[in-house]
Amino acid sequence: MPTQPNAPAKPSAAAAFMALLGREVLVEWRTKSLISSMGLFALLCVVVVGLGARSLPSDDTLHRFVLAMLWVCTVFAAIVGLNRAAVADQRKGLIYALLLAPHDPALLYLTRVVSVLAFLLVTQSLMILAAIPLLKLTLFDDPLILAVIVMADIGVLAPGVLLASITGRARGGEALLTILLMPVIVPVFLGATGATDALQPGQDPAAATAYLLLLGICDAMFAALGLLLFGRLNEG
Amino acid sequence: MPDTPTRSTAVWVTVALGALGMVGVHVTLYLSYFYTPTQVTPGTLWVVTPDSGAPISLYESYRIFFIHLPSAYTTAACCGLTALGGVMYLLSRKPKWELLIVSAAETGLAVGAMVLLTGTLWADYAWGSGRLGSGWNWEARLTTMLILWLAFAALLVLRRAIDQPRQRSLATAVYGILLGPLYPLVSKAVDINRTSHPRSFSDLLSAPEIATTQRIASVGVVIALLSLVALRYTWNSVGNNLNTERAA
Repeated sequence: MPTQPNAPAKPSAAAAFMALLGREVLVEWRTKSLISSMGLFALLCVVVVGLGARSLPSDDTLHRFVLAMLWVCTVFAAIVGLNRAAVADQRKGLIYALLLAPHDPALLYLTRVVSVLAFLLVTQSLMILAAIPLLKLTLFDDPLILAVIVMADIGVLAPGVLLASITGRARGGEALLTILLMPVIVPVFLGATGATDALQPGQDPAAATAYLLLLGICDAMFAALGLLLFGRLNEG
Repeated sequence: MPDTPTRSTAVWVTVALGALGMVGVHVTLYLSYFYTPTQVTPGTLWVVTPDSGAPISLYESYRIFFIHLPSAYTTAACCGLTALGGVMYLLSRKPKWELLIVSAAETGLAVGAMVLLTGTLWADYAWGSGRLGSGWNWEARLTTMLILWLAFAALLVLRRAIDQPRQRSLATAVYGILLGPLYPLVSKAVDINRTSHPRSFSDLLSAPEIATTQRIASVGVVIALLSLVALRYTWNSVGNNLNTERAA
């Protein structure tokens, strides 16, 4: 079909990505919806974990238990955020408007993963800041832990964004996302807790390599599946 | 009706697999009780208990493997079939692939329960105290298998939560694909850290009677359990056609 002389040029994928990301950040800046719900949830989790562990002796076992519990809190905070984002998308059919963008729907998926990742990292920062005094947390002895956090977050969010677009239009979607996501991210949880444990003082850091590899494989596999399937899932 | 030949084929496959499976199960049961020895002299199985590594004498307990192992193979096959059905549905949009995902998930749920139950009963003897549930120690192989079982259930719950048929089919296919990588994880779980679950059955299978019975069980019982997939496929296909005719 001949191009109309006055038709606006199709923006590049990078420009479209930045525009969509800008929209996500702007919406969050105005509503404070995701960070407030995820952050509050994470802080409440820290308090509950502290209450549950208050009578335990303050030793290495408690420290490792607290680290594992923080990963549990992260997963559930991510689910809270993904649910809020999915509900907002379904309201008034916003997702279908976004899919009208003249680009592959995979770009929309990528934007959502990146934006929720940024919000989740902010939430985790708050959670860790609260856990350092409340749970006597010492997390940053090895800077490699930062890579573990980012990789594990991607491993949770890559299938999470895909599944949230399913559950957003299902009955009981919020509970359903938890039911669907938890089995799928078990390898990510295994990798995150294993790598975090291996990078603690007194442990063998070489043991973290296998867990980092597991996280890398999960990230690549889930991201590829998400990019391939998001458009097909939301067509029509 | 366009899908009649498919359903007819499914009925024949069900009958054939069912008949073969019945023979296979009976032969396996006979061999496991009247052919294999009671005391396994060369077949002690090295089990790393949560406390220390030690070989244990199996006595009669190993006979449960003739059900446990084929059930695990069938669960793996069901996991693969859900992923295959998901990919094929997205490529072709033919309802038969959606039926395959659902049938495989339903069978995976039932057969996965058999794996967990037989495994737990044996673990109670092998490294537990003998009390029901004492062998469950949250090690990687046991936990990942339980998660896979829950994932089959989650897929079936997902289908009930979506009313619109097209969306339901797409969601089923996508979740079926996401289930695919879980069985390789279950399989590799014995290599993660220390594990109570045996890493290999080669010691046990060095007894020729046990090796022969295990080979027959691996074929016969797996065929019997896979006939359940074919049965559920035919059943669901008939149900779908009835619903279509009612709606028309």
